[in-house]
This record gives sequence, C-alpha cells and structure tokens, in this order.
Amino acid sequence: MPGMEVLTGALIYSNLLVLLAVGLTLAYITTAVPNFAQGSFAVVGSYTALTIYRLFNIHPYVSLPIAFLAGGITGLASYVLVLKPLIKRGASVVTLMIATLALDLILLGLRGIYAGYLGKLTGSSCEMFMFTYLDFPILGVPGILVISTLVIILTFSVLFTLLYKTKFGIALRASMENPDLAEVMGVNVEYTRMFAWFLAGALAAMAGCLLPFKQEIVPSTAEIIIVSIFAASIVGGLNNIYGALIGGYIVGMSESLFTYYLSTIFGAGMLVYGKVVALAIIIVTLLVAPQGIISVDWKKLYRRWFS
Amino acid sequence: MIYGLILNILLWFGLYLIVSLSLNMEYGYGGIPNFGKAISVLVGAVVVGGIITRILIAIYKVKTAYGFSTATSAASNELTQAIAHNPALGFFLLISTLIIAIALGCIVGAVFILPSARLREDYLAITLLAIAETFTMVCYYNPVIIGSYYGVSVPDFLAFISGEKKYVVFTAVVLVLAFLTYLFFERLLNTPYGRLLKAMRENEDVIRVYGRDLMRVRVMTMAVGSGIAAMVGVLLSFYTLRVQANSFMITGRTLWTFYPFLIILLGGAGNNRGVVAGTLIFVTVMEVIDFYKTSIVSFLHLPVEAVWLEYILFGVMMLLILYYKPEGIIPEKPIATPPIKRAYETRKVSKRGVREEY
Repeated sequence: MPGMEVLTGALIYSNLLVLLAVGLTLAYITTAVPNFAQGSFAVVGSYTALTIYRLFNIHPYVSLPIAFLAGGITGLASYVLVLKPLIKRGASVVTLMIATLALDLILLGLRGIYAGYLGKLTGSSCEMFMFTYLDFPILGVPGILVISTLVIILTFSVLFTLLYKTKFGIALRASMENPDLAEVMGVNVEYTRMFAWFLAGALAAMAGCLLPFKQEIVPSTAEIIIVSIFAASIVGGLNNIYGALIGGYIVGMSESLFTYYLSTIFGAGMLVYGKVVALAIIIVTLLVAPQGIISVDWKKLYRRWFS
Repeated sequence: MIYGLILNILLWFGLYLIVSLSLNMEYGYGGIPNFGKAISVLVGAVVVGGIITRILIAIYKVKTAYGFSTATSAASNELTQAIAHNPALGFFLLISTLIIAIALGCIVGAVFILPSARLREDYLAITLLAIAETFTMVCYYNPVIIGSYYGVSVPDFLAFISGEKKYVVFTAVVLVLAFLTYLFFERLLNTPYGRLLKAMRENEDVIRVYGRDLMRVRVMTMAVGSGIAAMVGVLLSFYTLRVQANSFMITGRTLWTFYPFLIILLGGAGNNRGVVAGTLIFVTVMEVIDFYKTSIVSFLHLPVEAVWLEYILFGVMMLLILYYKPEGIIPEKPIATPPIKRAYETRKVSKRGVREEY
C-alpha cells in the first residue's frame, strides 16, 4: 500500500490537473481549438504568485485571486488578439492550432524576459523556484491539499450555478451545444467565447499559483505539463466540462500511483516516467473511446457483458 | 566575420531545408498537422549517440566501468584517430549512420502515427505532440539512452581535414544532402502519390471514395517524412561532436517543430520552391539575430538572453503570416498534369488555375 504521503501528493496533483483541464475543455467546446498554450497560462499564475511573494512578502495562497485575474486577462487577450481575428477570416482548425503554438512560444519568451527582470529586481534568480517551504499543515494535512480541494469545490459550485441557474448560463450552454442555432436565437456567441477563454486562463493560473507547492517551476514547466493536461481532457472527453473533472483525477492518480508502484519494483528512477503513463492513457482512450469516458454508454456495456 | 556569418547561414539553410521539405510533404501536401516533428530529428541524434557509439564501444572493446559517457569519448577518440589517417573510413561512417538513421526514422515515423492515424486533425495534432514530448522527456531522464544531461562524444567523420576548412567541407556536405532531398521530394511529389496527398489534405472522404486507405497513406507519409528528417539529427550530432538530451528539452519543440512550420507557412505550403525561399529568409533572419545578439541586448538594456526575444519575434511573425499571408510568399500552383498542361496551351485555364472560358 502506498503511504499517506503518496496518496496526498497524488490528490494534490489531480486537483491541479482538473483546474488546468477544465480551462482547456471550456476553450475547446466554445472555439473548437485545442489550446497548446494552456501550460503557459499556468506559468503566468506561478510568476504572479512569485512576484507578489518576493516584492511584498504576501503568501501565495493570499495571491490566488490576483493570479486568477492575471491569468484571466492573459486568456482573454489571447482570444481577442490572436484567435478572434483568425476565426473571423475563416481560418481552419490547423491554422488556429498553429496560432496557439505561436502564442505558447511568445509566452515562453515573455516568461524568460520577465524572469530576468524579476531576478535583477529581487537580487536572486527566478528561473527555478518552489513554494514547498512556505506551506503549513491545516488540521494535520498539508495546507496545499486543503487549499487545492477548496479551490476545486469553489470553482465547480460557481460554474454549476452559473451554467444551470442563470440566464447567461443557459445562453452559454446553448452556444456550446450548437453555436449556429444559438446565434439565430439571439445569443452573442462572441461573449461566450470570451468568457470561456477568460476562465481558461484564470483557472490555469490558479493551478499555476499552487503548482510550486507540489513541484519545482523550471523554464520547461509549461511543456512538461501540457501532455498531462491533454491526457486529462481527452480521457474525460474534450466535449464535456465534467469530463475534465473525471479525467483530471484519472490521469493525476494513475500518473502518481502507477509510477509509485513501478518505483517500488524497479527503484526510484521510475518516478520521472509519469508522462509516459499520461501518454499511454491518451492512446488507450483514443483507440477505445475517442469521445472520452463521459461518452461511454455504461448501461449498454453492462448489459452486453452481464446478461 | 561576415564570411563566418554567410557560412553559418548556408549550414543552417541546409539543415532546415531538409526538415522543412519533409514537413512540407506531411503538412503542406498531406495536411497532417505533425506537431511532433522534433521527434524525427531526435531519432537521428539517438542513432549517433545511442547506437553508433555502442557499436564503436563494442568494436574497440572499451571498458564501460567508468560509465557510458566516458566510454564513448574513448571509443570516439579511437575512430577519430583512425579517420585522420583514412578518409574513406570517415565517408563510410557518415553514409552508414545516415542509412541507419533513415531506416530507424521510417520505423519511428510509422509507429508514431499509428494510434491516431484514423483520427480528426485536432486529435491527431495533440497525440503527435504528446508522443514527441514524452519521447524527449524519456531521453532526457534516462541516462542509458544518450547519456542524458552530460551527453556522449561522437567521432569526427572529417578528422582528416583540419582547421577552418573542415567547417567549409561540412557545410558543403550538408548542402549536397539538402539538394538531394529537394530532388527526391520534387520527384516523389510529382507522381500520383503527391496528388493523392493533396487530395487527402483537401478532403479525406475523397480518398475513401477512390478506394484508398487513409490510414495507410498517412502511415507511409509519416514514415518517409520522419526518415528524411532523421538525417538532420545525425548531421547536427556530427556538427557539434556531442549528443546531449537536454539540448532537445526546452528548445526541441521550438527549433524542430515550430520553426519548420514557420518556414513552410512563410514560403508557401504545398510547394517545394516556396519552402526553399522560406528557409533562406528564416535562416538569414535567425543567423543575423544570432550574429548581433550581444549588441541587440546591450542596445535595449536588457538583463536577459537574446533567445527570449527571438522566440517572441518568431511567434509574432508566425501570427502575422497566418493573418496577412496564409498562402505564403510563393503560393501553391495547380499540379501540371497533362490535361492541365494542354489547357494552358489552349489558354482555357489561366496561370492561377481559374477557368476563364469553355
């Protein structure tokens, strides 16, 4: 049996993956483009938290709302400045995907320059950092576990209320299901897309703000994490927000626990192969149920196998 | 100084031309969004760093007690010494390495697309990127494959030439290979196969209607494309005389996936002459930035490396191309099949492929 430490680590990682995957899925549902810059949105959050901590000595948990805003603005700007003009020109999905790759590269470059400036300003390097030493236990468990779980609960309850209890939510769901029909009915699809990209950036940045409590932020963090984000979104189903919730936990848990079991057999060197697990999950999902777990008709499967 | 810059431009022009031409077949002709192009270059590096070095260790019976990295430098040294006296050996080393790399590249390319070959383009792109990133990470974390962080030493196939001249000869070798690649793709894509690829790009259902297997066409295309691009990994390793996995870690996707896409879109997708033009422009810009980078950084009073500025510049350049000139500098022309040629002659079709009269 894996110890408590492994399990809590897996849970924390899953929570963060859920936040990242929800944003990716939201942007995919509304604009039909897989956002390859999602990992960089997370890094925006990490650097927001680092800046506030280094300059004003404010704890990263407190700066979560600011990270939310900073990421949201990044996401919104990405849509308005990069994707919207291209969509208006009738660009293909591949063109839009290449545009998000370009966006990712621009954000990587900005990160490098910003880290340089911040390093010069604070007098210590900002290329790599962690917040683990800032964490404190809450009720006997690591604070990051409590905080990340609270963030997930808050995010999903707000999202649920918004989508199912408000008029804007109805419009939002309508334009997700069928943008053309929604537009005919007088819904401004543009607003829903802007909202989705704001949220995509904001949620990713919150995850990025908490990520340094779990693992070190390095210049290639965005690249390393993108495979897991896509795995989480795809295994749950790219077309369903709740798919990201399920997928995040499946990928996060199996990445952590599977590599843990491998490491008990083959030694600690196996722990770095989490991404191989994520990749395997993507491939198996695409071969077995390309629309994700959420689309599988379990009743039908049950009847086929057990009666 | 300027002489060095021109030589640099020529060298990188050759390297990028090979990768871009192969990506042009996959994406420009076949419409496969290969976001994992970097994997094929990495395969070439793995062939040199992981296979050739092991063969040499076995041939020269080097003791591996002090680790793989140390053993490779001893073995590479032995062969470099031998090549210094026997140029034919160097030639044999280059050719055999290239052949192994092309073969392994073909296999990797075919396997690489298998899980997603039937899928829509967005899922296809995600899977290809995910596989390439994961493979890079495994090479980085696993020191057994190509020595990971510390890297391995590689024999010098031009050891018989000394000093400045070696660099000129190396550039010439790269340019010859790039020219051969160009001829190969020109011939290959002016066949029914090239037109099949274009049909696949325009509409996958058309391929099915005419009884072709979409999956087979995609697997074959990726195999050829990856095999050719693997040559660049070999050349890069012989150029730096070292193979290091961490050189692919952050920059791999940028240098060998994003930049080739930028080149193709800049020059004009689906057309090899456009790719040549795009490569020349891109490499010139890149090398000029590299040449003047210290003065750029001091001019702008930046406390950072110029590479970040380069990323931003090329990212913005890509967005501008996508927005203002998605067809590139040299737009694709209709394929000159005999009926179209006859139509040109009888002037029924204008040069742009639009029918003017019946």
